[in-house]
Amino acid sequence: MEAHGVEILLVEDNANDAELTLRALKQRNLANQVHVCRDGAEAVDFFFDGATPAPKVVLLDLKLPKVDGLEVLQRLKADARTRTIPVVVLTSSREEPDIERAYALGANSYIVKPVDFEAFARAVADVGLYWLLLNHPPQ
Amino acid sequence: MKWSIERKLPLFVTVLLLVVAVTQLTIGYGEVRQASRALADKRLPLATKVLADLFQAGQGRARVSALARDPAVLAFLRSGGRTGRDAALAAMHRITLDTATNTGLELRDFSGKLLLRTGRFSIADSVFVSPGKDSARYGPLMRLDTTLFVAIAAAAGEAERAGGIVQQVARMQLSERTRSTLTGLAGGDVRLLLGNAAGDPWTDFATIVPAPPASVLSSRTPVRYERGEAMRASAAPVLGTPWMVVAELPSRVVSAPARAYLLNMAPLALLIVVAGALLAWWGSRRLTKPLVEVTRAAESITSGDLEKRVTISRDDEIGSLARSFNTMADQVARALQTKETMLRSVTETAHDAIIAADGKGLITFWNPGAERMFGYTPAEILGKPLTTLMPQKYADAHRAGFQRYLDTREPRVVGKSVELEARRKDGSEFAIELTLGAAPANGGISFTGVIRDITERKRTAEELRATNAELESFSYSVSHDLRAPLRAIHGFARILLEDHNAKLEPEAQRLLGVIDQNTRRMGQLIDDLLSFSRLGRKELGSIPVDMEELARTVAEEVQRTDAGRTGSLAIQVSSLPPATGDRALLRQVFSNLLQNAAKFTRDRAEARVEVGSHPDGDQAVYFVKDNGAGFDARYADKLFGVFQRLHSTEQFDGTGVGLAIVKRIVQRHGGRVWAEGAIDRGATFYFTLPADEGGR
Repeated sequence: MEAHGVEILLVEDNANDAELTLRALKQRNLANQVHVCRDGAEAVDFFFDGATPAPKVVLLDLKLPKVDGLEVLQRLKADARTRTIPVVVLTSSREEPDIERAYALGANSYIVKPVDFEAFARAVADVGLYWLLLNHPPQ
Repeated sequence: MKWSIERKLPLFVTVLLLVVAVTQLTIGYGEVRQASRALADKRLPLATKVLADLFQAGQGRARVSALARDPAVLAFLRSGGRTGRDAALAAMHRITLDTATNTGLELRDFSGKLLLRTGRFSIADSVFVSPGKDSARYGPLMRLDTTLFVAIAAAAGEAERAGGIVQQVARMQLSERTRSTLTGLAGGDVRLLLGNAAGDPWTDFATIVPAPPASVLSSRTPVRYERGEAMRASAAPVLGTPWMVVAELPSRVVSAPARAYLLNMAPLALLIVVAGALLAWWGSRRLTKPLVEVTRAAESITSGDLEKRVTISRDDEIGSLARSFNTMADQVARALQTKETMLRSVTETAHDAIIAADGKGLITFWNPGAERMFGYTPAEILGKPLTTLMPQKYADAHRAGFQRYLDTREPRVVGKSVELEARRKDGSEFAIELTLGAAPANGGISFTGVIRDITERKRTAEELRATNAELESFSYSVSHDLRAPLRAIHGFARILLEDHNAKLEPEAQRLLGVIDQNTRRMGQLIDDLLSFSRLGRKELGSIPVDMEELARTVAEEVQRTDAGRTGSLAIQVSSLPPATGDRALLRQVFSNLLQNAAKFTRDRAEARVEVGSHPDGDQAVYFVKDNGAGFDARYADKLFGVFQRLHSTEQFDGTGVGLAIVKRIVQRHGGRVWAEGAIDRGATFYFTLPADEGGR
């Protein structure tokens, strides 16, 4: 996929979840500029290779191979260049410590993936719409 | 010891004896005095009476009467002194010769003119006594220089003109014999006085004396008066004369026996007092000496010499006191020994270190447990400061806290258990739990510490925490990894239905629907199971909770979200006592119970749910009662098991975790749950919460 014009970066190791997410975004015509990273390391590289422009929103799973989602979040929020990129944690975990840590590290939202597909699709679509169309990031 | 019995008793006895002696002496003296005076008062009138009688019966009168009747004298007097002078003189001479030498006789006419006188005693003319009519009469005593004399006169002849007066004038004197007889009669010290009732002159038969005061003469009873010295005197008239006699006795003579009594008795009384005092002193010594011994023995025992006994062998009360004391000392020693043995046994058996320290923080007791734990022998550690057993970092805080406790006695660590670190002899440090006690001892304070090596406990706790963490990560995995495939199944089944609906036969569509349903249910099961397992690990809050308000809020919520009902639903919340606990969890309890109640009354035309409570001892019983489907009472105990359901999912949906969650929450609050019900007769779910400290 082309690196330019990426609006949504989806960091998701589970191919099924990734497919379902893309489908949900596609239903709202938000899937055109989505880039998928399959693990944390890939996501870190995506940001810090120095060439790629920042996406409008990052949908971040927590349980990731190589580099953990929370670590990715931490590194994004620790760097001045990437700090303003909105990060929405999209995960299966509804464990309190995860939620607390994610917000402590600067997550902009925390969404628990519902098992129910309709609910899941609705949640993903709402998030995409909100961050892409309604949110006004700093220039 | 200033007013010890040893001093008090003899003093008391002495004072008592003195009082008795003085009283006895005073009374005795008074009695003797009284008796002597009574005796004197009896003797004195007797003496005066005898004396008065003596003078009354004097011979002088008889002689003068006889002379007055003498014919010669009569004749002489009738002749007016002119004839018969010699014959009269001869008659007079008979009398003067008869009697004492110093007597004078006179014959006078009634006018008092002297006609004839004889005898050697001559007096002035003025001395004249008016004669009595029928017999001779005495005149008053008269004085001539140092001589007293008296006239006795009698009328001679029947008529005045035919007679005259015969008068004898005589010295007033008593023979020595008479006087001694009188004195003998009246008693040696009695002085007898004679004188005129009207006044001077008076005589004591030896010399002229001043007349006694009128008070003596006018009194019929003995009186006291002063004449040079105090006198007791009694007076009596001499009948037929103008005289009085007085018998007097010096008061000193009267009270002589009383004085003699005092003189004799006082030394005797003094002797008795002294002897009594000595006896009392000896007695009190005998009483107090053993008491002192018992006291000393008690002091010895108090200061630790448990073998001390008293060596008094007597048969009296003191003896039995001594025996009781010794028995008591034996028992105390035995009891102490038993206690000590027990204490030693406890402290020696104890796995914990038991140590004691004095008010200076120096170690005074060290049990084998302490030796094992710290490595010091008692010889090495006794008398050393407590800080020896502490890592350096605690020493300063310990010293400050120790001093603060000594100053304020405000316990901060004392009476509690704290977890600290201690230092062994080899310098290694280890975790301990210290329970500290303080007790007054020997005027100071003694601290007792029980120290438990909690290294093992800490390790176990650490392991438990690790296990918990593992479990945490397990449930994390469950929540994350079990849900992802479910989502995939559900998602792709939905996609199949949505995208390829036209190509699917109705049966295929139905089967996909079943998949859809089951994946949803599986997701719900996972969520419920996770929240149930989280309950066991969650920290429990402990704040006052208004149970009634909580129940009302939940009831409203349940009523609001109640769906699929054909009839009405009434939830009635009565007054509920407050509880202490975790508000969110207690809310969950009401939520699960009320949702259950709503669920199982769904097919009722008039569903009624009641929330109430009643007290039961020191706890409150809350209940949620409904008139719904109820349950078979035989399975009441299965209601609260995880995934236990008494109804099919087709009848009532649910995962079977709700009541298990209720049970776990209530149990963690220290309460219990139970249920009553019957099929189609409704169900009542009860839970209790301790009135105080609902949370743990």
